[in-house]
Amino acid sequence: MRDVYIIGIGQSIFGKLPQYSPIFLGAQAAKAAIKDAGIDPKMIQVAYGSKVLDAAQTIEDVLKRVGITSLEMHNTENACASGGAAVNLLWKDIAYGVYDIGIAVGCEGLTTCSKAGQLLGTAEGDLNGTLGMTMPANAALIARRLMVSRGATVEDLARASIKNHRNAIMNPYAQYKKVITLEDVLHAKMICDPLTSLHCCPITDGGAAAILCTEAIARKYTTKLIKIISSVVLTSTYEAWDEDPIEVPIMRKLSKMAYEKGGIGPEDLDLVELHDAFSPEELYSYEALGLCPDGESIPFLRSGATEIGGKIPVNPSGGLQSLGHPLGASGVRVLAEITTHLRGEAGARQVEGAKVGMAQMVGGTLTGVSSPSVGSINILAK
Amino acid sequence: MVENVLFRKDLFKETPEGLVLIGNRCTACGQVFFPKADFCTACLNETMEETVLSKRGTLYSYTITRVPLGKFPIPYAIGYITLPEKVRIFAPLIIGDKEFQVGDTMEMEIATLWTEPDKNVIGYKFKAVK
Repeated sequence: MRDVYIIGIGQSIFGKLPQYSPIFLGAQAAKAAIKDAGIDPKMIQVAYGSKVLDAAQTIEDVLKRVGITSLEMHNTENACASGGAAVNLLWKDIAYGVYDIGIAVGCEGLTTCSKAGQLLGTAEGDLNGTLGMTMPANAALIARRLMVSRGATVEDLARASIKNHRNAIMNPYAQYKKVITLEDVLHAKMICDPLTSLHCCPITDGGAAAILCTEAIARKYTTKLIKIISSVVLTSTYEAWDEDPIEVPIMRKLSKMAYEKGGIGPEDLDLVELHDAFSPEELYSYEALGLCPDGESIPFLRSGATEIGGKIPVNPSGGLQSLGHPLGASGVRVLAEITTHLRGEAGARQVEGAKVGMAQMVGGTLTGVSSPSVGSINILAK
Repeated sequence: MVENVLFRKDLFKETPEGLVLIGNRCTACGQVFFPKADFCTACLNETMEETVLSKRGTLYSYTITRVPLGKFPIPYAIGYITLPEKVRIFAPLIIGDKEFQVGDTMEMEIATLWTEPDKNVIGYKFKAVK
């Protein structure tokens, strides 16, 4: 198995951009990644695309717009983890010597897709979905359990969102670059009790891309060698009848696998980017990723440990809360964010001395299996 | 003429006490499932037997959707109810006078889920018991 390095990252602006197709946004991201890497596009040997909704020939359509055709290409879908999964597949190709260099591009057009304007549901024909289960409802059901089991107050549920919106002021790609207060969150439009619109990520279009390669190629193009030390994808188990959703068994197993493969523990992380489509998710992720001891997510949150400058900054980019969540793109965007910090190029939101970072994306809800149904983690180190 | 149409009649059984929900139970480990499982996801045994579910359970969690939700009238409440058979089921809830509380005793009722021009689709909802 060979070491795999990341030499190019790119993303489009994230926002409500109905005037652009998601494929165009993906192509913008791919162009940016190629320029960032400083390579000739003809060097790309393999490509992976990720898009969740209305997806058809995504990577082919994206790359034909940047002068790349006639390669092995694949499109992958794994709910919100699609982008992380595309990176994982590319990583595998290079790690196992199938190819030496490739690109992963994720994109999504939530304002223009066939489901635009609707709350995202589960899967076609899923019983809970046919009875009104949606992504925000699922998050709200879990938020209620955080209140019951962890003593989370309505204010606690807002804290991560407030932090992330503040971080986003320093992120030129963020959809929302505006400080929000507790009052803003509590008085925003109620979506699914107790979650208001400011507990939820916005509807967003965007694209993100990453170029991975062998060490030999990386050394020709950069002195800032950033390695993927761990790349894992995992689906959840059947749901136990008495499962506690705030335990998030899949995230525990996924992160254990990621730490083991990387030869590190959570204490070695300098920053984390994780799936916070709904603000409460960040809270239980602290425990499920081992960032704090079990049962202590609320004191940990309140201590400021996850602020930039804190013990373990979480979502210094502004998270999905501020960037938005173009489903197929997010898993690639978080990889790009971690890379930016490890290169020391994150500007005002830079996590000082960042050497090891985790890019996590989880998602998907299906009746009968533990939620989220799938997750991906990529850990980078310099 | 608007008629009542039962949502997913395979989920119900007619009894002298009215419609009840039915699930199934694994003949090997006893785990109960709703909706019926094709096989036991706890032990992977494939022989299941039909079982009637209790009408009453405890509210495990709840939320109320307040933004447009397709065909469902809003506000639309949903939740998880833990039944004595050691199964937790997802169901719409009937909004009452009191706010829901985790731990409330809930009882199944047949109620309208949504309406269409030519029919009322009815199904199971749970209501807090006083």
